[in-house]
Amino acid sequence: MTDSKYFTTTKKGEIFELKAELNSDKKEKKKEAVKKVIASMTVGKDVSALFPDVVNCMQTDNLELKKLVYLYLMNYAKSQPDMAIMAVNTFVKDCEDPNPLIRALAVRTMGCIRVDKITEYLCEPLRKCLKDEDPYVRKTAAVCVAKLHDINAQLVEDQGFLDTLKDLISDSNPMVVANAVAALSEIAESHPNSNLLDLNPQTINKLLTALNECTEWGQIFILDCLANYTPRDDRESQSICERVTPRLSHANSAVVLSAVKVLMKFMEMLPKDLDYYGTLLKKLAPPLVTLLSAEPELQYVALRNINLIVQRRPEILKHEMKVFFVKYNDPIYVKLEKLDIMIRLASQANIAQVLAELKEYATEVDVDFVRKAVRAIGRCAIKVEQSAERCVSTLLDLIQTKVNYVVQEAIVVIKDIFRKYPNKYESVIATLCENLDSLDEPEARAAMIWIVGEYAERIDNADELLESFLEGFHDESTQVQLQLLTAIVKLFLKKPTETQELVQQVLSLATQDSDNPDLRDRGYIYWRLLSTDPVAAKEVVLAEKPLISEETDLIEPTLLEELICHIGTLASVYHKPPSAFVEGSRGVQHKRLPGSAGSGESVESPDTGSAAGVPDAPPAVIPSQGDLLGDLLNLDLTPPATSGPPPPATSGLQLGAMDLLGGGLDSLMGDESEPLGGDLGGGSAMGAGFGAPPAATAAPFSAPVSGGLDDLFDLGGGVGMPMGAYSPPKTVWLPAMKGKGLEISGTFARRGGVIQMEMTLTNKAMSVMTDFAIQFNRNSFGLAPAGPLQVLTPLSPNQSIEVSLPLSTVGPVMKMDPLNNLQVAVKNNIDVFYFSCQYPISMLFVEDGKMERQVFLATWKDIPNDNEAQFQIKDCHLSSDAASSKLQGSNIFTIAKRTVDGQDMLYQSVKLSNGIWVLAELRVQTGNPIFTVCLKCRAPEVSQCVFQSYEAVLKN
Amino acid sequence: MVISQLFILSSRGDHLIYKDRGEADRDVIDTFYEKVTALKGDQPPVVMNHKDLHFVHVKQGGLYWVATTTADSSPFTIIEFLNLAALVKDFCGGISEKAVQMNFALIYELLDEVLDHGYIQTTSSDILKNFIQTEAVSSRTFSLFDLSNVGLFGAETQQSKVAPGSAATRPIQSSREQGGKSEIFVDVIERMSVVIGSNGVLMKADVEGEIRVKCYMPNCSMRIGLNEEFCIGKAQVRYGAAVRVDECSFHQMVQLEEFDSHRILRLCPTQGEQTVMQYQLRDELPAPLPFRLFPTIERDPAGLLMYLKLRCDLPPKSAINVSIFIPVPKGSVLSQELSSPDQNAELQQQNRAVVWRIPRFSGGTQLSALFKSQLDVPALSSASMLELGPVALTFELPKLTATGLLIRFLRLTPVQPGTPQRWVRYVTHSDSYVIRI
Repeated sequence: MTDSKYFTTTKKGEIFELKAELNSDKKEKKKEAVKKVIASMTVGKDVSALFPDVVNCMQTDNLELKKLVYLYLMNYAKSQPDMAIMAVNTFVKDCEDPNPLIRALAVRTMGCIRVDKITEYLCEPLRKCLKDEDPYVRKTAAVCVAKLHDINAQLVEDQGFLDTLKDLISDSNPMVVANAVAALSEIAESHPNSNLLDLNPQTINKLLTALNECTEWGQIFILDCLANYTPRDDRESQSICERVTPRLSHANSAVVLSAVKVLMKFMEMLPKDLDYYGTLLKKLAPPLVTLLSAEPELQYVALRNINLIVQRRPEILKHEMKVFFVKYNDPIYVKLEKLDIMIRLASQANIAQVLAELKEYATEVDVDFVRKAVRAIGRCAIKVEQSAERCVSTLLDLIQTKVNYVVQEAIVVIKDIFRKYPNKYESVIATLCENLDSLDEPEARAAMIWIVGEYAERIDNADELLESFLEGFHDESTQVQLQLLTAIVKLFLKKPTETQELVQQVLSLATQDSDNPDLRDRGYIYWRLLSTDPVAAKEVVLAEKPLISEETDLIEPTLLEELICHIGTLASVYHKPPSAFVEGSRGVQHKRLPGSAGSGESVESPDTGSAAGVPDAPPAVIPSQGDLLGDLLNLDLTPPATSGPPPPATSGLQLGAMDLLGGGLDSLMGDESEPLGGDLGGGSAMGAGFGAPPAATAAPFSAPVSGGLDDLFDLGGGVGMPMGAYSPPKTVWLPAMKGKGLEISGTFARRGGVIQMEMTLTNKAMSVMTDFAIQFNRNSFGLAPAGPLQVLTPLSPNQSIEVSLPLSTVGPVMKMDPLNNLQVAVKNNIDVFYFSCQYPISMLFVEDGKMERQVFLATWKDIPNDNEAQFQIKDCHLSSDAASSKLQGSNIFTIAKRTVDGQDMLYQSVKLSNGIWVLAELRVQTGNPIFTVCLKCRAPEVSQCVFQSYEAVLKN
Repeated sequence: MVISQLFILSSRGDHLIYKDRGEADRDVIDTFYEKVTALKGDQPPVVMNHKDLHFVHVKQGGLYWVATTTADSSPFTIIEFLNLAALVKDFCGGISEKAVQMNFALIYELLDEVLDHGYIQTTSSDILKNFIQTEAVSSRTFSLFDLSNVGLFGAETQQSKVAPGSAATRPIQSSREQGGKSEIFVDVIERMSVVIGSNGVLMKADVEGEIRVKCYMPNCSMRIGLNEEFCIGKAQVRYGAAVRVDECSFHQMVQLEEFDSHRILRLCPTQGEQTVMQYQLRDELPAPLPFRLFPTIERDPAGLLMYLKLRCDLPPKSAINVSIFIPVPKGSVLSQELSSPDQNAELQQQNRAVVWRIPRFSGGTQLSALFKSQLDVPALSSASMLELGPVALTFELPKLTATGLLIRFLRLTPVQPGTPQRWVRYVTHSDSYVIRI
């Protein structure tokens, strides 16, 4: 008799039959019946009607039957909460059973029943089981705490289960330790600021001991937990590394990867000249290589991780190039990843080998793989200069195959090679031009057009070639259109006499017949450039291009650091930070690598990038696909050498340019700004800037005349602040990118009882800015400008101005989140811009905030304890007196001081501009850099902000 | 670190087993099935996501074994955990849709112990045995006949990489009750990756190997002796015919006290199947390559003339299931002459490759084949010559290890009542054997 028969009965009356069988006297029959019920449950049939009958079977001494009933209960308790209560007594009884298997089973199942009523009954049995003599029961109970926390977090905290769980970290049984760590890690995730997993050298030591004894899965929990620890110094770091290294030879790849993560992270702290550092690097290679002999699924995941590791520390695998050579029977996704890593590892030492491989790959069957292989050859040429010549000849061989997609890819990469090694391989242009007709992909067409434009002077029939593309201009993709426009302009600047007609044709196609704003803009720019000053145009368009960098597709350094901290997880497969795909990103802290030892010297070898957050400026432009011209527009516009009248050759164009400027543009801008400007009441002079004669708009191209004015306006800034009052440094509120060239940075300060909003306005656009106005949205404390924004003179390009705006606190009030958030609108002649900033709440602390002692005492007692909030300020090295005077400068007044056991307690009061009083107790232990602040307030929501101010004032 | 849901689906998408942490939504099972069946060949199937749920799955025994997670969990952990399929196989005696359906109560019981609130507890069958109450229901009675072809491995092993060993289809627990036959299988399985350059130079020769133990005996402890001259790493050079590997890793249960001195692995295998040792050898083979190819390729106006001589250097052993894939230029039409009738060859148009199959190839012999390939393209350009090759081989070499690793002895302690059957099997597969021409 087999279980499969349970799946076959579907007739009516089935429930009725089952009911009868469940109530049978015979144990075997009961068991069979419960099995049938569960079988129906698995395939999705509703058997909840049998709940009472199944629960009746629960009281049995047959473990198998009991397990089946428990399985059923887990599934249906939620839909039948009242019935589930019927089962509670049996659960509680089972938790006391002499058989540990039954105790564990009961506590495990109870935790899975997500019914609030049950949780009340769960607490007592759980407490007992956490202290059970049998480790199997304890480890099950540890997990149960996590389950309960999921249902009712408050209850878990109130009952003190978290503390018991912490104690279990020191349990004698490694399984219990592992489960306690797992449960705590998950609970800690939902309380990002809590100190739940308080890792210190003692607990770390315990974890490392348990690591050697527990199951492979427990080892993963513990290693992942270790990865979150930051060792105090390089010695501790080394000793942890030494104890983790043996895990690298574990057969379970997940254990290996978790160990690699710990080592990669802690290695950051080791000095590079240490012998051990070198040893560690050598030890990391074999386990990573071993991963490649796993099944393709694991190989793929491993390769994604190796890709990250190679970017961070290429030295680990530099001798292992061969293992990344593709096998003919690898799945395509594995092949592509391997190829990527091969390029990253390519160096002068192994380039010949790599190139030979790539050439083989380029003749394989799979189109995607072949394309990537061809592209890889180009990347080798760019990365290893010595190989460039061989790469180019390999590419030419491939072009000879005339296989359509191979030719196209080859042309795309040859374009990059030209950029890296200008004037070196132009002899191949003739071969390229032969293939012009076979190109049907936009990227390849664009690359070919770029080559023709760039080397127009060497190609006799460049004009014919480009003209042939022009015929179908409107059918081309934007990429090709933009490239064609630029190429023809280049051609014109090189051979002006023969190609005038062609350039006019393309300019009018781009500006008049196209709906694409990018194309039109670029067209207008060229047109204007050519019409105003062809010499300048030549300098701009034919300027020397910045060199492209050797590495392409590198992951940005800060993201890479974060991903290294997530080795072995989904983040490392997606190459995205967890916050990008984990729901709610609750309390997701961006993990960073610890700084290296001897932090004083920041001289790091360049290949390892920056250690802790100092963003490296990219050494050169990384070519992004399909935007060759991007860099062109970013070039500094240098003033022309001669400013004489434009040569007659372009006079015909001049007229057209004028027309265009006078035409649609300004009305367009006017329209756009109307709905936005209305709010600020200052629509008056809109569009004026654009109505100005063309000379004004052309100004930025001729010379930044107004640059020198900066100094004059600088007078307003830098007015000395009264001593003591803390004002945070200016931060950028509105970046120029979002402000159409207007950048606003600012801060807040309180001077002589008046709140000041201090801003620096910088014009990073090319035209003059005028008509500034400012308005605030309603906010928590009624902040509003007390006067208009005083920008009296127009703001010229590249000029900045300091403005100080007095604020009142009588404006309309609306509670914001966060409380100190302020939404601001700034208007100028160009547009209205919105940004939000956060002000330090200490700006609102008024001067008469010193409370009478008696009143203080009474108020302190009067405010309920629930309103009390406690915070810690770390790393504060002030004496209590220095702290007191520092705080006084920001209107935090000390009323009394008491010293108990070497601990100073300062009692302080603060009054906010809206009359809210905040009472504080600041505890300072001499020699201890951690201050404790206890805040009491009738409006407890301000506590967090007030605390932030405390911290800011004390630390500055 | 946490698994939200675990489910097993049949290849048609029927729900067989389902377990979750309590908060999850069952509808995603169908979402998963839609996604996995719509997957194209070139997309990595490993991790898929739907909203903020991430699926990790493996396909084993024609079933989808799927775990989902909402956190930034480790796909390594999950994939390793989904090796659960092997555990289920050990307990139920096999994995198939039928076996899973028949044993659903047992599987649920297993899952309960293996996975608690999404935390993996243990996957060791020895520990689990103590907790499991339900009896396995075997889909097919165990017959001794299955054991008769020990030493020969199943044919589809190339892909699955694991010799299925037809002896292995019985539940581990049944031995407890039946007091049945005590048996131990020790398999040494190696996979070769070789690249031979067009000039005949060996460019790459790697071997990955593993020792697998399949045990049908309760509470036994065993000692496996390897070649005494076995050495690890490049530094260790010994005289004589040393068996060398570069890297070696062991299962957690293996005790290595005697390994350094006598090359003996001591272990108490849990019932069921496990890999006790894995090793790699890179860029160095102790023996000559098993296959050498001597191609002669001529271009004539009509097309290509390929005369291939393939030599097998394995005396006195022989290779089986040898296939040779020869990519040829697009648009070829084939005519062939083979040296013996049991071989065959065909042109696979979609892969543009000739496949030449040799069912049995004795060591020390040489076979040849003549392929005439006519192109419908008028002139054979030098470019289409690039499309020719490289040649890839697949094969099995039974009773042979490429590294020379041998099991010296297999001793059981304590001495078992009755005579336990002990089997040692060797096989070497091709993983990727490429000859460039």
